Amino acid sequence: MTIALNSTPAARSRWIAAAPLSNRGITEMIAGPVFRGAGKRWWIAVLLTLPFVLWTLVALIWLLTQGIGAWGVNTTIVWGFAIANYVWWIAIGSGGTLISSILVLTRQNWRTSVNRFAESMTLFAVAISGIFPIIHLGRPAYFYWMAPYPNTMSIWPQWRSALVWDFWAILSYLIFSIVFLYVGLLPDLATMRDRATRRSAQVLYGVFALGWRGSVRHWRLYKRLHVTLAAIAVPLVTSVHSIVGLDFAASLMPGWQESIFPPYFVIGALFSGFAMVLLLTALVRWGLQLEAIITIAHFDAMAKIILTGSILMTYSYATEWFLAWYGGEHADRSLIAFMFTGHYAALYWALLFCNCLLPQALWFPAIRRNVPALFAIVLLILVGMWLERILIIWNTLSHDYMPTLWRVFRTTFWDWSFLFGPLGVFAFCFLLFIRLVPAVSIYETRRLAYEEGLE
Amino acid sequence: MSQMSAPAGSKTLAPGCFTRREALGLLAAQMAISLGACSKPVEEIVPYVEMPEQLVPGVPLKYATALPLAGYGRGVIVSSVDGRPIKIEGNPRHPASRGSTDAFAEAEILSLYDPDRSKAVLHAGEIASWEAFEQALLPVRQRAQDRNGAGLWLVTGRITSPTLARQVDAFCKTYPQARWCAHEPTDIAAEREGAVLAFGREVSTRPQLDRAAIILSLDADPLGPGPEQIRNGRDYALHRLPNNGFVSRMYAIASAPSLTAAKADHRIALHPDLIAEAAIAVANGLGAGLRRPNLPEHADRFVQAAITDMKSERGRAIVLPGPSLSAETYALVHWINHELGASVEYFEPIDGLPDHTAGTLTDLARDLDGGKVDTLFLIGVNPAFDAPADLELAERIRRAKFSVHASGYADETAQISAWHLPLSHTLESWSDIRATDASASIVQPLIQPLYATRTMHEVIALFATGTRARSYDILRETWRASGGADFDGWWMRALHDGVIADTSAGKLTNLQPQLPRIADAKTVSQAPHLAIVLQPDPCIFDGRFSNNAWLQELPKPLTKQVWGNALALGSDEAHKRNLGEGDVVKIEANGRTIEAPVVITKGHADGVASLTLGYGRKSAGMIGTGVGTNGFALRQSDSPWLIRDAQVTRTGRSEEILKAQNIVGRPEDVDTLFPIVAAQKVSDGKNPPLQTGADLPSLLPTRPLPDDGHAWAMVIDSAACIGCNACVIACQAENNVPVVGPEEIRQGRQMHWLRIDVYHHGTAGEADLGFQPVPCMHCEEAPCEPVCPVAASVHDSEGLNVQVYNRCIGTRFCEANCPYKVRRFNFFGYADGQEYANLGLESYKAQKNPEVTVRARGVMEKCTYCVQRISGARRAAERENRPIGADEVTTACQDACPTRAITFGDLHRSDALVNRLKRDPRHYALLGHLGTRPRTTYLAEIRNRDSDLDKEPS
Repeated sequence: MTIALNSTPAARSRWIAAAPLSNRGITEMIAGPVFRGAGKRWWIAVLLTLPFVLWTLVALIWLLTQGIGAWGVNTTIVWGFAIANYVWWIAIGSGGTLISSILVLTRQNWRTSVNRFAESMTLFAVAISGIFPIIHLGRPAYFYWMAPYPNTMSIWPQWRSALVWDFWAILSYLIFSIVFLYVGLLPDLATMRDRATRRSAQVLYGVFALGWRGSVRHWRLYKRLHVTLAAIAVPLVTSVHSIVGLDFAASLMPGWQESIFPPYFVIGALFSGFAMVLLLTALVRWGLQLEAIITIAHFDAMAKIILTGSILMTYSYATEWFLAWYGGEHADRSLIAFMFTGHYAALYWALLFCNCLLPQALWFPAIRRNVPALFAIVLLILVGMWLERILIIWNTLSHDYMPTLWRVFRTTFWDWSFLFGPLGVFAFCFLLFIRLVPAVSIYETRRLAYEEGLE
Repeated sequence: MSQMSAPAGSKTLAPGCFTRREALGLLAAQMAISLGACSKPVEEIVPYVEMPEQLVPGVPLKYATALPLAGYGRGVIVSSVDGRPIKIEGNPRHPASRGSTDAFAEAEILSLYDPDRSKAVLHAGEIASWEAFEQALLPVRQRAQDRNGAGLWLVTGRITSPTLARQVDAFCKTYPQARWCAHEPTDIAAEREGAVLAFGREVSTRPQLDRAAIILSLDADPLGPGPEQIRNGRDYALHRLPNNGFVSRMYAIASAPSLTAAKADHRIALHPDLIAEAAIAVANGLGAGLRRPNLPEHADRFVQAAITDMKSERGRAIVLPGPSLSAETYALVHWINHELGASVEYFEPIDGLPDHTAGTLTDLARDLDGGKVDTLFLIGVNPAFDAPADLELAERIRRAKFSVHASGYADETAQISAWHLPLSHTLESWSDIRATDASASIVQPLIQPLYATRTMHEVIALFATGTRARSYDILRETWRASGGADFDGWWMRALHDGVIADTSAGKLTNLQPQLPRIADAKTVSQAPHLAIVLQPDPCIFDGRFSNNAWLQELPKPLTKQVWGNALALGSDEAHKRNLGEGDVVKIEANGRTIEAPVVITKGHADGVASLTLGYGRKSAGMIGTGVGTNGFALRQSDSPWLIRDAQVTRTGRSEEILKAQNIVGRPEDVDTLFPIVAAQKVSDGKNPPLQTGADLPSLLPTRPLPDDGHAWAMVIDSAACIGCNACVIACQAENNVPVVGPEEIRQGRQMHWLRIDVYHHGTAGEADLGFQPVPCMHCEEAPCEPVCPVAASVHDSEGLNVQVYNRCIGTRFCEANCPYKVRRFNFFGYADGQEYANLGLESYKAQKNPEVTVRARGVMEKCTYCVQRISGARRAAERENRPIGADEVTTACQDACPTRAITFGDLHRSDALVNRLKRDPRHYALLGHLGTRPRTTYLAEIRNRDSDLDKEPS
């Protein structure tokens, strides 16, 4: 019954490495894993990630009962992993959005193979990132005071604070991510409804398919909505990351108060987001055996974007250094010297290696087309980007205007728990997701196959 | 307070001693009792309908009393709210306080509520009763009487209390052959002996720094911790400010860092033996004609410069000797001061009994060895911990047949004594005490004893007469003659003023000091041996404040270490010995060994290290036990302040030195943050104006500030600040600032609202330090305000930057964005259920200032400019229908400051002192270039350097 699709190197298309390919074949290949059952790899992955989920739960309970003193934050370095993790996760999220939206708008059709799980990645990453600003609070129970709601205190949020902007940015981004993902899913949910054999699945997919029948009118409206959402996504992602940048830039601290921060954070988001997408693409392609529709050319294209991101990041770093020197402010210059030679210097050099030097390997097509090498590079980029976020916090707060209170951050077990635990939670959610909905957009792949003339 | 009293003498019943019937009966009886608890007591009780006279609920009452330190009194005024004393301030009428306090006085209020205080009589470590002790004492007294007191020893601390002196005198008369000894761990024996050498008699000396233009300190620390710190600090600061006639110049020759050496205009570090040589050089410079001093060239140049200065300021120059020097050198300094006509006053010593020669601990140790001690009374002392180690009193006291220890704590000595009697805290006692100038004060209690304790006077009365007397009566008996006809009127006046008029000692004049015989120069022992200078600790003094959490967490002025002490070394010395900060070393001297971590500081002489006393307590309480290293364990009775030949070896282990902050030493940082001006330039009006930030250009229009008629501001004078830490503890006491504990300090957390930044602005070797107290700046353009998402950090209409605790959700953005880093976050519930050690116990809650919120976990807090005091002044002014006075509101730190370095006031009042200070040429704003427009501003540190010494040696 199953139609085996093996990738054939002789295929004519860049983006689909199998021929001949029928609509039925594509549907079967993508929807198959959902209906057929999980397979050993999936179960192993679930068993690997489940302990992380439990670990995160324990860490959350500990944190909420003991207070944020459980972390390594101190009187001078009042922020720590929570803020760095927040920035890192929300940046991961934007990778997904950017792939979907920018590539939709620029009609890069190859995105169809990867956009589904990129969008779901966004959703989970944004959801996880949204937890951090709440649990990072000294009194998390009152996080809703950042929202303007009628209350007996007759008091609203303090609108000049970048954290209030942040609150809105995360909230709108989360809502948008859900809507964007869901809209993209509609035709496929209908496909699933139609192919489901069990009543429960039919009802479930049917409800979420919102009565999609695939009429021309549906398609016309759908297309319009999808492009509109994509058009909204680009400024949204840009603003979200600009605001994340403003969390730091709208301050007085050396190393934070820099006008380059908003665009620099957008670039950083794009950079780490694409790295994460590439990482997941490699894993999903291997795990669900989608070599036929996710080709080396996809990796090649994404690697080029990552290379561009790396160059822009390097430029941003250099701007920071230059302006500290050019501005002549003692605190700024002292901070740059501290970054290169101070307590966290090893991490800073590692950051520069991961984000600036290593990605230069992507100039070489052989490396861009070598999946294991790419996998290693993007993994290190993700590490480098996390280091960048934590060092933005650590360096500035460890070495600000008051040398008398300069001190260093001492990590605790619970800091690491909130770094590694959520990675497992993310993977766990992602695994559940690909068991419930098609990991690759069925209808878009079919269209791509058609356009590539493979049918 | 009744629930706090300990169940002293309650008998515990052995289990299994009831029959079933008895048990049921008891159960029924207990139920009947608990039902009865719901009804009124049998005795007549009076409802609180009409207020007792004077007492208005919630309004603090203030009482004058005095607190002892090393046996000398400092007059204080204690605020009491609804019967709970909560805050200690200086008594302006008292000569040793002059309205200010020191860190120890401020912290006494916490010790009062210490739950580890001794609460019950102990017999062989078991809880007993006062009655049981009185029973046990009967045969002992009888025996002593029969033997005329032979074999009876009484050990007390330094006695300046006229009542205690009278009682001990009577005790010695009752038991003529009894021996008495005063043991004070911080006593300087060389000072007494030096006076005897110079004058042929005991004389007590007090420098008058308010009249000194040139001060030469020979390892002395007049500004350091001790009973004279407040007076010396005030006098010293008087002539550090340019508008008081002249600016003094201080030369310091110090073996180890001290507050005095830190503030000196010129300093060199020399081995104590070489400092003695320097004294000879000074004497020769004044024509003593002694042998040639054996001084290195640079030291000689230094001394010559000082001599030249002193000669030109005869009558206004003074030389101060320190505890590491010998009696001969003290005597020589008496001669020098006499030659200089120095501003020193001499008094009859006040801390002895004129008719009795005091024994020494050495005598006691010998008697104990010879089995000659039948009965040993130890009152208010802890020799098992703080006596010189070579006396081994901790072992020898056990040899006394009957030993009684009376103290506020069941300490190390209590553990080895047969009986331990709990003494009341000073704030619970009637007593009297003299200041260093002999001015007497009545000590009056602020509260009924919290536990079943008695005062020292009551205990001695019990020993001497076997009767229970009340210390109130004993005390009034002492003073009855002085009071004259209207004794009660006199008594009321004495209690009210806190100091008894005309009790200061008469000055001794026409003393002719002899030149002492000077021994040949000692050869300074070379490496590998190290001389260790012992110092009283600036935080816990001699160990008596070990169990005070405020003082344990108080950053030491020169190292910023908290929760412990360490062997302090210079970096060269450490390098030579291949030691790094935190390396634990074994220190061996005179056959005894201790281990201590190393801390590296500037200002030590070659071959000299220093160690503060008072740490390493074995039985201090939950807070103080086991913290730090015991310096007393190396102390020799013949050389109590200097260990000559110590051997220091690495153990290979290392431990972290807990520090609350850093000493700032990078020249570029110091230049930005801590300007220093030359005294001459200020006097001549040639000093260029410093950065205040008021003249920064801006593209924005000036933002109108809300204004309700007051603009509070503070000016802190770095030239006057001696880094004594009184303000830090005062702030902690006033504002319910919690203690976080050593683990939290290790994590980099602290709660002090006011910190004292230390700037090192000398050369590599010279520890030229300046102090800068940093409270909240109350910036007009506060960076913390726009970043708070919930408007918890806001400006009020009087210019205060206020923190609304119950609005704060704890984003900590305000502290991240504070360039001064003055905000403090409750990472845990430091005062809210997650207190360190026993600090959450009920008794401590009584100390809390009811006008200040106790902050919860997860909220940010910071200096409020003591907003509760502003509010109190406003209420008082409104009641009286008048404006708030120009300098009416004072902050807690300001009140505490011995040198009056802190001034607070209203910028809208042209007659306010802050306005005058803000026009001073030394005025600057910290980080003024950031445009924060701080309301707390500074006056720059002054250095009055000698131009000759600043020249390179040719």
